[in-house]
Amino acid sequence: MRRFKPWLLALWSMSALAASGEPVVVMTSYPEEVMSRFEEAFSEAHPQWRVQILWRQGYDALPWLRQPEQGGVDVYWAPSPGNFERLAAENAWQPLGVDLRGLPARIGATPLRDAQARYQATELAGYGFASNPQRLLQLGAPTPKDWPDLLDPRLREHIALPDPARVGYAPVLLDIVLQAYGWERGWALWSELAGRARLVSRGGSLVSDEVASGRSALGLSIDFFVASAISNGQPVRFTYPVHGGLNPAHIAISAASKHPDGARAFVRFVLSEAGQRLLADPEIRKLPVRPDVYRSLPAHYPNSFRSAQRGTFAYHNSSAERLALVTSLFVQWLGQPHERLNALWQRIHAGEAAGHDLSAVRACLSEPPVSASAAEAPALLALFAARPSAGMDSVPTSEQEPLGQQEIAWQFYSAQRQAEAQRLLEAMGL
Amino acid sequence: MNTRCALLVLGLLLSAGGHAEVQREAFAQPLPALASDAQLDQFFKGRGLFRQAWVIAPSADESAQGLGPLYNRITCIACHPRNGRGQAPGDSEAPMRSMLVRLSVPGTDAHGGVLPHPVYGDQLNENGIPGVPGEGRAHLDWQYSEVTLDDGQRVELREPRIRFSELAYGALNDVQTSARVGSAVFGLGLLEAVDAQTLQQLASAPKADGVAGRVNWVWSVERQRLEVGRFGLKANQPDLPQQIASALHGDLGITTALYPQQNCTPAQIECQQAERGPQPELDAQRLSALHFYLAHLAAPPRRKRDAAPIKQGEQLFSELGCGQCHIPRLTTGQHPNYPALSRQPIEPYTDLLLHDMGAGLADHRPDYLASGREWRTAPLWGLGLSEVITPGAGYLHDGRARTVTEAILWHDGEARPARERFSALPAAQRELLMGFLRSL
Ligand code: HEC
Ligand code: HEC
Repeated sequence: MRRFKPWLLALWSMSALAASGEPVVVMTSYPEEVMSRFEEAFSEAHPQWRVQILWRQGYDALPWLRQPEQGGVDVYWAPSPGNFERLAAENAWQPLGVDLRGLPARIGATPLRDAQARYQATELAGYGFASNPQRLLQLGAPTPKDWPDLLDPRLREHIALPDPARVGYAPVLLDIVLQAYGWERGWALWSELAGRARLVSRGGSLVSDEVASGRSALGLSIDFFVASAISNGQPVRFTYPVHGGLNPAHIAISAASKHPDGARAFVRFVLSEAGQRLLADPEIRKLPVRPDVYRSLPAHYPNSFRSAQRGTFAYHNSSAERLALVTSLFVQWLGQPHERLNALWQRIHAGEAAGHDLSAVRACLSEPPVSASAAEAPALLALFAARPSAGMDSVPTSEQEPLGQQEIAWQFYSAQRQAEAQRLLEAMGL
Repeated sequence: MNTRCALLVLGLLLSAGGHAEVQREAFAQPLPALASDAQLDQFFKGRGLFRQAWVIAPSADESAQGLGPLYNRITCIACHPRNGRGQAPGDSEAPMRSMLVRLSVPGTDAHGGVLPHPVYGDQLNENGIPGVPGEGRAHLDWQYSEVTLDDGQRVELREPRIRFSELAYGALNDVQTSARVGSAVFGLGLLEAVDAQTLQQLASAPKADGVAGRVNWVWSVERQRLEVGRFGLKANQPDLPQQIASALHGDLGITTALYPQQNCTPAQIECQQAERGPQPELDAQRLSALHFYLAHLAAPPRRKRDAAPIKQGEQLFSELGCGQCHIPRLTTGQHPNYPALSRQPIEPYTDLLLHDMGAGLADHRPDYLASGREWRTAPLWGLGLSEVITPGAGYLHDGRARTVTEAILWHDGEARPARERFSALPAAQRELLMGFLRSL
């Protein structure tokens, strides 16, 4: 990407500064409803500061923040944990310098700030299942309580699966299952699930639309997308699975911030009781990180701290590299050949229903191209450090580079094993 | 209709009834005529574009890059919250979050349209991307007055005066201004399908009370000719694609085939020199998805229309002469793109014509044939849900009226006799009229 001319940036911040006295430049990827509620409430509480929103998708924010002067950004606030971690490693943040009393350092296995308090979670979103009760009833399927329940044959073709290559929150879904059930069993589940689900390529509201409209009976989603559909009267329900996970959104102040006081005022506001209460707005519906605030929320509001005590959130958020690796593995191995995979699984299910033992065929489709320990090798992970985990083309980067070669190898492996599965099925006349 | 769609419609019907919260999405429902998966996909795609945040180019977010160089807001829904109307800031220092100020100088352009201000263009763009100074801030200073209805009830009215600050490109003298809140965006495909001939007939039909009403003739960029105007508060846009493309261009700084140049005036050097991504920033496919979406947003169904008091209110609406401009029922003609919208009976409560509304509402900024005192009759469908969907948003072109009563009391010019009859009503009858308006 080409860069902005630094002198233009300087001019911009100068003109804005002269004009208003301190605009705080906040980079974010929140939808309009969230941005405008917070912007408005903040400027009412602190009329001396003006906020300028610089909008950037999670995967698109890094290059901007890596520009000279960090692109003029004072505050970065987004549900993209990997970005905060990566930039912290590059010393891009200054110490937050705000009072964090009343804000726990972790929930379940999820840390809510880094060890040096350079970034702090501001809200949480929980992963889980959106379901359409009426459709489930028609299919005669019970509401799934945990991941293996998704393999209920009655749900075949009725599940909307967000495509990890395209949908920002999906990589963590993959990872929750891999952590909870282990690498082999987890991937076997993903292969079979991918083999019977519809891949949905755009964001969370689309998954809840799919489900609310009955086009799918069930979808993998995040609580707030579904909560807003529910509060709009849509026929959807949300279930936190027994093995759940949380996605924190963080806030940080850039090391190069020209307006650290304003930035701090904004951070303080977002973390304050007033800011945290805004999260319960029906159009935002996120989970506060300040436990005290739950007391002033309606009784039916999900209390993530209470669920965490019950062990629901044992998932600990993985590194950005690991998520990128897991995503890429899914995309190359299961996502690219999705149609063929789907057809093969259909034949397996039909064969099994007819009483055949197809464990050898299952193995062809379920064994991941890398073992659990190989996937933890630092050299392999390092390749993925530079690969955004979502929002990218699913095409391998380039066959000239080790990363691209790795991804092509996974695709090739997938093709081979699928061919093998096909041969086995044909040999059995299935 | 296949089963999936039957289910969708069922889901939506469920959401149309029920409790107050349910109605928050009442302006975001597709017309039942959307029958196939492909159509729903197109609808959702358009909805995504209407809600998406645009980003500064260059960006890896290729389908959303191109914001600015000068702009007002980064999404469409910022000014059309929940597809409803925008709001005028009550506090004169508060920024305009869902409205804008149009600018021009006396005279007309080559096609009879407004003559943009030579330095600021035809709209104040408060924001600029890095390196490009935003044009400045617009404020509304409110002046308050009071009117007394015939039964002695007093109603406070407020009227905005526009003031500019932080002007980055020099003074704005002798400029014509018009402050406008975003308008509701449902039902537009049906209005687009009303024949030009129907509008002409409405214009020439004889009316009581000195009510006139005329068609605006405006330039079609695509077809390079004057056509009947329908969209915009002065009916200065001939069709939805052009209305949408001009919103993209004027409000967000997004270029399309219809408006391929960045929205910079020659005097705005930084704007001219700003980095840009591939052009046009929104391609024809996505423009048609936006068109599809806005064309197929249903007007919400009326509620309790058969209840006796509502019927009495409806009768009053007609007796007061409101329905001369707010025409209850029309039948659409042939829609140029979407046959499902053709030949439908609709209840928009508008004639889409321009009316002289008097000095109090005048913006003194002519637009094609529309004079500074003329406005397009506001459609009243969905009016009753406005206070649920956008509480506090207000009424009329600049959001000055905080209640429907205030909105009616601002009616003047051709609507003066109707307003005077309204003021003369006893309180109980006014309440019946309000009950009817709430049922819309
Ligand atoms: C800065 C606020 C603002 C933004 C952003 C904005 N609009 Fe609007 N919109 C308005 C205003 C004000 C009007 C009334 C137009 C007029 O008469 O000048 C309007 C009118 C419209 C209308 C016509 C409604 C009618 O009944 O005639 C459509 C359609 C529309 N906008 C679509 C869009 C689209 C699409 C976008 C995003 C590309 C958008 N708007 C972004 C403020 C905005
Ligand atoms: C001469 C034509 C005319 C008559 C008669 C008329 N109106 Fe209107 N009405 C308009 C126009 C034009 C507007 C838009 C004015 C503006 O935005 O400044 C409007 C706006 C309104 C609005 C505000 C709608 C909105 O969305 O902001 C309401 C409510 C309304 N009229 C109700 C009535 C009622 C009730 C009557 C009868 C007492 C009536 N009108 C009579 C032309 C008329």
